[in-house]
Amino acid sequence: MSKRTLVAALAVSAVFVTASAEARDLIQNKGSDTLVNVAQAWAETYREVNPDVAVAVSGGGSGTGIAAMINGTVDIANASRAMKQKEIDLAKSKGQNPIQHIVGFDALAVYLHKDNPAKSLSLAQLAEIYGEEGQTESWSQIGLEVPGCKNQEMVLVSRQNNSGTYAYFRKAVLGKKRDYKMGTRDMHGSKDVVELVEKTPCAIGYSGLAYATDHVKLACVSKTDGSKCVMPSVASASDGSYPVARPLFMYTNGEPTGSIKTYMDWILSDAGQCIILSKGYAPIRDVTCPPATN
Amino acid sequence: MFAATHLNVQNMRRQSLVQILFMLMTAILILPVLIILATLIYKGGPAISFEFLFSDPRDGMTAGGIFPALVGTVWLVAVALLVSVPLGVAAAIYLSEFAPQNWFTRIINLAIINLAGVPSIVHALFGVGAFVLFFGFGTSILAAALTLAIMTLPVVIVATRESLQAVPLAFREACWNMGATRWQTIHRVVLPNAVSGILTGVILEVSRTTGETAPIMFTGAAFFLPFLPESVFDQTMALSLHLFVVSTQVPGVPDEMPYGVALVLIGMVLAMNSVSIAFRMYLRGKKKW
Repeated sequence: MSKRTLVAALAVSAVFVTASAEARDLIQNKGSDTLVNVAQAWAETYREVNPDVAVAVSGGGSGTGIAAMINGTVDIANASRAMKQKEIDLAKSKGQNPIQHIVGFDALAVYLHKDNPAKSLSLAQLAEIYGEEGQTESWSQIGLEVPGCKNQEMVLVSRQNNSGTYAYFRKAVLGKKRDYKMGTRDMHGSKDVVELVEKTPCAIGYSGLAYATDHVKLACVSKTDGSKCVMPSVASASDGSYPVARPLFMYTNGEPTGSIKTYMDWILSDAGQCIILSKGYAPIRDVTCPPATN
Repeated sequence: MFAATHLNVQNMRRQSLVQILFMLMTAILILPVLIILATLIYKGGPAISFEFLFSDPRDGMTAGGIFPALVGTVWLVAVALLVSVPLGVAAAIYLSEFAPQNWFTRIINLAIINLAGVPSIVHALFGVGAFVLFFGFGTSILAAALTLAIMTLPVVIVATRESLQAVPLAFREACWNMGATRWQTIHRVVLPNAVSGILTGVILEVSRTTGETAPIMFTGAAFFLPFLPESVFDQTMALSLHLFVVSTQVPGVPDEMPYGVALVLIGMVLAMNSVSIAFRMYLRGKKKW
């Protein structure tokens, strides 16, 4: 290696290192895989709103985001579960002060064919329908007769097993340890589930509330047999009365200030909430959104 | 006169059988490479366009291009090379030319071999602990590139040391007898003769650095970043992670897109490799022995 190449190499590395002098405002956003696509959409749209702020989005799971918040390496942590007290204490002992913001809700509606006469379904009934070794195989077993459904045999519509929806429905309805029944139709998108249910009288499926159309019926879900059932809606997801909904969180270190505050305010504004709605999650309040362009 | 006995014929037959068998095995080796390349070109080819290469991702990463990831990968590879090549070559020169053969050198050699065997996800966790947290670089190109550099250091050291040792001792002895110091000998005679082998190590390093995902996932690569990095303290997108993201994390990605990203990734490695291979052949042509 000649002296000249060595000097050149040093010069190049010096440029790399010193170019950081006038860095733009960078917001580090990391965490939940459930939220990562929403976070990405926010970041993508936000560059049009405020070109001086860059939002770097990373996934890795809620745990990754929360760990980064504890270590102070992230500005906003995304999580689809709340931080545990132990985690908050640990963060505080390291000088961080995580502040929770609810940015939306993940409400899963149970979809039925338009002609399905079902009035309400309880979580226990759903578990018997979807769960491994569940006894409910046909609509007549739960006292229903679905017009147009041959043999009254249920067609179970589910999701592919790496979907967050799959995982959350399992946790909320079947319980952590129970698996899904064999023979479900596993769809590769929230929208596909609704479309299949729309066309199949025998079908039952679950998907994000935002995918509801006028051509399908939403089941009213009750926590226990006989208790009052709740229709999925943005309101019932927000107040926690609907049993298959969870809040989605963002954590900031202390009350947000500066560009982080502007960004969080924008996420909670109508513009930001319309984006979370377009990604299939429930916004924190009713918003009127312009019709989707694509 | 020589006449083939029954035994001779049997031995010859056995030999040709073995030869054919081994040839088939070699052919099987090429198959995966051909299948991978053919699949990528067939399925990913339609995705490649000027826009794909030189624009930002759009519509929730389901459209647009891969430019930030492409630039990010170049940054990561460049910074990793800047760190690991000088460090690795210096260590190899010391080990090969200066170090006495004692227990200490043997321990260092053992450490290098072990370092080469550490799984990349362990390097990733080391990178988070050391560079992101302890040195306080944060999740940045610097932290990710240093992690990559440490991971590929053994490749550079081993390749360099082997090519140094391939330079005949007689060269050195001739030089020493002329009154040259060790360093003069290394600098003027050994290194110029070993440079093609060192380049091989660098090529291997570049290929590995470009493709690695685990070590950069937690140390510096972002799922989405709407800006090009401006310094080593920025985060960046990277092709390898982008491939992982568009194939598993984002709903509604058109089928040809992940294949297109994979094709660009492989194309990049092949392009860099062929440049260095051409350079190596040129140097080898100038070799005097």
